[in-house]
Amino acid sequence: MTHVAIIIRMLRILFYAALALSSFAALAGIGMFFVAVKDLPRVPEPLSRIIETPPTEIYAATGEKIMVIGGRESVPLSRVSQYFIQAVIATEDHRFWEHHGIDKLRTLKALWITFFKPGKVQGASTITQQLSKNLFFSFKRRYMRKFRELLVALQIESQYSKREILEAYINQIPFGVGAHGIEQGARTFFGKPASELTLAESALLAGLPKSPTRYNPYIHYDRAKKRQRVVLLRMVAVGYITQAMADRASYAKLNLQRLPARARTGSYFLDIVVKSLEERYGPNVVHHGGLKVTTTIDPQLESQAIKSLQKGLIELEKMMGIHTKTIESSGEKVVRPQGALVAVETNSGAIKALVGGRDYSETEYNRAVESKRLPGSGFKPFLYYTALEKLDINPATVFIDQPVTIPVIGAKNWSPRNFGLKYEGPMILKRALMNSVNSIAAQLVERTGPEEVIRTAHRCGIKSHLEPVYSVALGTSGVSPLEMASSFGTFATGGVRHEPFFISRVEDALGRVLEEHIVSGKRSLDASLVYQVVDMMRGVVDEGTGSIVRRLGFDLPAAGKTGTTDGYYDAWFTGFTPTLSASVWVGYDKGEGLWDTQGNGITGGRGAAPIWADFMIKATEGEPHREFAIPSDIRFENVDPITGYKANDSTLNPVRIALREGQKVYENIFQDETLNDSTILSPLWGP
Amino acid sequence: MEWYEPRDFKEWAKRLFAIRHLVLILFILGVFISELRFDWFEQTVGSYLVTTNSKRPESGAIWEIGHRTIMARQTLDQIVTDRQFLQREARGATTFTQMALNILPNKGIMVSSERFKKIYLTLPQTIAHKIASPFEMLRLFSDGSWVRTYLEKAGDGLKIYLLNANNRVLKELEIPSDLIQYIKRIDMALTGKLEELPSFENRIYSAERFFAALSSLPQEDLRSVVSQPEMLLSMPGHIVRVGISDEAVSGFIELGFEIEDGTQRKVILLQGREWAVWALRSYLEEKEGEPNTNLKSQNDWM
Repeated sequence: MTHVAIIIRMLRILFYAALALSSFAALAGIGMFFVAVKDLPRVPEPLSRIIETPPTEIYAATGEKIMVIGGRESVPLSRVSQYFIQAVIATEDHRFWEHHGIDKLRTLKALWITFFKPGKVQGASTITQQLSKNLFFSFKRRYMRKFRELLVALQIESQYSKREILEAYINQIPFGVGAHGIEQGARTFFGKPASELTLAESALLAGLPKSPTRYNPYIHYDRAKKRQRVVLLRMVAVGYITQAMADRASYAKLNLQRLPARARTGSYFLDIVVKSLEERYGPNVVHHGGLKVTTTIDPQLESQAIKSLQKGLIELEKMMGIHTKTIESSGEKVVRPQGALVAVETNSGAIKALVGGRDYSETEYNRAVESKRLPGSGFKPFLYYTALEKLDINPATVFIDQPVTIPVIGAKNWSPRNFGLKYEGPMILKRALMNSVNSIAAQLVERTGPEEVIRTAHRCGIKSHLEPVYSVALGTSGVSPLEMASSFGTFATGGVRHEPFFISRVEDALGRVLEEHIVSGKRSLDASLVYQVVDMMRGVVDEGTGSIVRRLGFDLPAAGKTGTTDGYYDAWFTGFTPTLSASVWVGYDKGEGLWDTQGNGITGGRGAAPIWADFMIKATEGEPHREFAIPSDIRFENVDPITGYKANDSTLNPVRIALREGQKVYENIFQDETLNDSTILSPLWGP
Repeated sequence: MEWYEPRDFKEWAKRLFAIRHLVLILFILGVFISELRFDWFEQTVGSYLVTTNSKRPESGAIWEIGHRTIMARQTLDQIVTDRQFLQREARGATTFTQMALNILPNKGIMVSSERFKKIYLTLPQTIAHKIASPFEMLRLFSDGSWVRTYLEKAGDGLKIYLLNANNRVLKELEIPSDLIQYIKRIDMALTGKLEELPSFENRIYSAERFFAALSSLPQEDLRSVVSQPEMLLSMPGHIVRVGISDEAVSGFIELGFEIEDGTQRKVILLQGREWAVWALRSYLEEKEGEPNTNLKSQNDWM
């Protein structure tokens, strides 16, 4: 047999083998087809139905949309920039207009690479196949899944026009950061409708679906630009644009919008809103029901609160010798102090700003609501109100600031100390609060009892459990910044308590009202007693431990109280104007105190009050000078801060106090005598 | 048949260009080329799948989202329907009791200030005064700030918030449970006779005797006994007997007016001021001796 004959014989065998194999493959294909068809998903009619999920929209009190959950914003092809359509086709499937759901040449090439080049997997999915996958299938790589995906793609091609397919595709592709569909993508990244996208913007967006995380321009700008370049070159290759156009677009500056909150809320305030909605209506309704939620937040105040807190924390770090830039450049893992700020409208309880940490992207733990930190002396206003209510005293009553020991039945005696361990002897009650004197606070709580102080705190709106021990008056039970801001709001309104709230109205997608908040105030405290406490707290801001607020330039009428805990673990300042109550906390999440480079502890006055002042200066910008309402039975007297006697020309640094009807201060009839205990005529409460 | 090598060129050519070989090759080429050109395979499969579409399951990511959306809409529709039902009932209420009965725990109702005013005016004056001063209502109504009213359960009682356009509470009214019970009894015309109400069984008088005694009271005291004669007048049928309760509540004594309407008997409850009812009672007892407690039917007195 000649060589030719041998070859022909071989070829013949091969031919029949291939024929048999092909027949077998065809039979297997038919079998697989019928197996796959059995539970193939139904394709919706019309295809646009896929984008009929209404989004849940969350609005600020100002009407601004601040978050969108779920939903799709569908636009017809005619309202999408031609550049974007070309960019998508050039990048994803340049033979889209020609094939019938499968690009056979690309598929063969991909199969060749997948089977014959180990470790490499080549994709060849057409736009229709991608649409099929996105609509119906998981993202697991399985051959049967791929086969089903292909079959659905073929059906889609048979059932719908190319324009319908392309429209459905561009209205559902994910761009990352919670944006689905081109309209949402264009608005999220560039703050404009899809119809107004430029070539550069279109190319950037068209490059994202390949890997929205990897090419996220907010995080990996350079990578996203490189991908944009790839898209532009594809457009040149396909013939949609010229090289010159691609070059110009490549160098064009992109004006990326500030990233709005989507899907992941990105904000501590929105976290509590979404959580609350989910509790009330269930996650399904929140994510698929298309609610319209109006919240109480003021975006400007919220933004200012974030800025003030971040700026304040950087200042605090400088004070502590933590150098932010060094940390960032060295990549060193340094635990940094945290903070929280809450602002509440006093005459309604509406939360206008809420920040639960220095950076939401670093930590989502909401310190403004979930964290219970010891308020320290920040709790004293509740004690002082209780004392004025229960004991026959007034702001001019004199106490002796000296070491005290209070016996506790069944436990160790309680001996609170002043900060700095200094004791100043006699002083009036107002000065004791202004200077946050612990020894006098201890004397007060000994007489009122801790239960009464707790009752006052609860009347004001503190919800946390408070331990009925003497030290509760010095803030040894944990509370949240939201509770502090809200409860101090009760002082600002003259004793009328408003429950804090953050959702004012919820409607369904058709505008039918599901709930609305009723702003109801309840008188919890006596207006005159409250005024006396507020007047004393004004002293804290004007001349006392919180006077840095004035030095920093906040000049509207305001009252407040600093708070610092043992070991300087927590620094607080909670204060209010007649319209806005705000609380600021700073400290480490656990285990560390706040100390400056000189080894001095950082108090509420140094750590938190500057943040409060910075925030309030901006928050009240343009507001008129508004005084706290003075009850009709209140009158004012100037007194000596040491003796409590009515001030006269020779009194040094007289203090103005507020007195209720029937309360009086005495004339000093021993003007020339040196002060001693026997010369004090005002009611004296010694230890 | 075993293949063997062709012996000459002619046989080679014959074999190579055999009809069946050419047909086979052309067929295979035709299939490939026409598929590449016309995508008939994809179209056939696609068309077949279109015909089976309606029988296939609604499965996959997009359908799951769709189902969740439908469920969410149904939940919301239920909430809205419940709320609207309560609102509609409240708006259609003609008495305070009807309105109060529609308020479920944690599901308050919102009505307009107009609607609430109308309901307020259906209450007997004494009760209305207990709920809110008419002058206060007048003030709020006249300055235009009162726009809506929200009513909600508070324990067994009721809380009513008079609201402005911004949902701020202008006035908060509290109605304790005993007052609500009392209003309910006043509002409801009880089907049956006076004897069926234990508090009246000792003092039941014929209407003639009761109104005769009433007319002998000073003119200015009449409304203290029967605060809303207009309401009694508006009732269909005629009053046949009147009962006076043994109990006094918060300075008021209940009066039961038994009305005959065709074959039906019903009792309307009203409140009279305690002192005025006492005066009437003593007058009734002085004039006629002990009240007749053995009355079995109106005919005994007619």
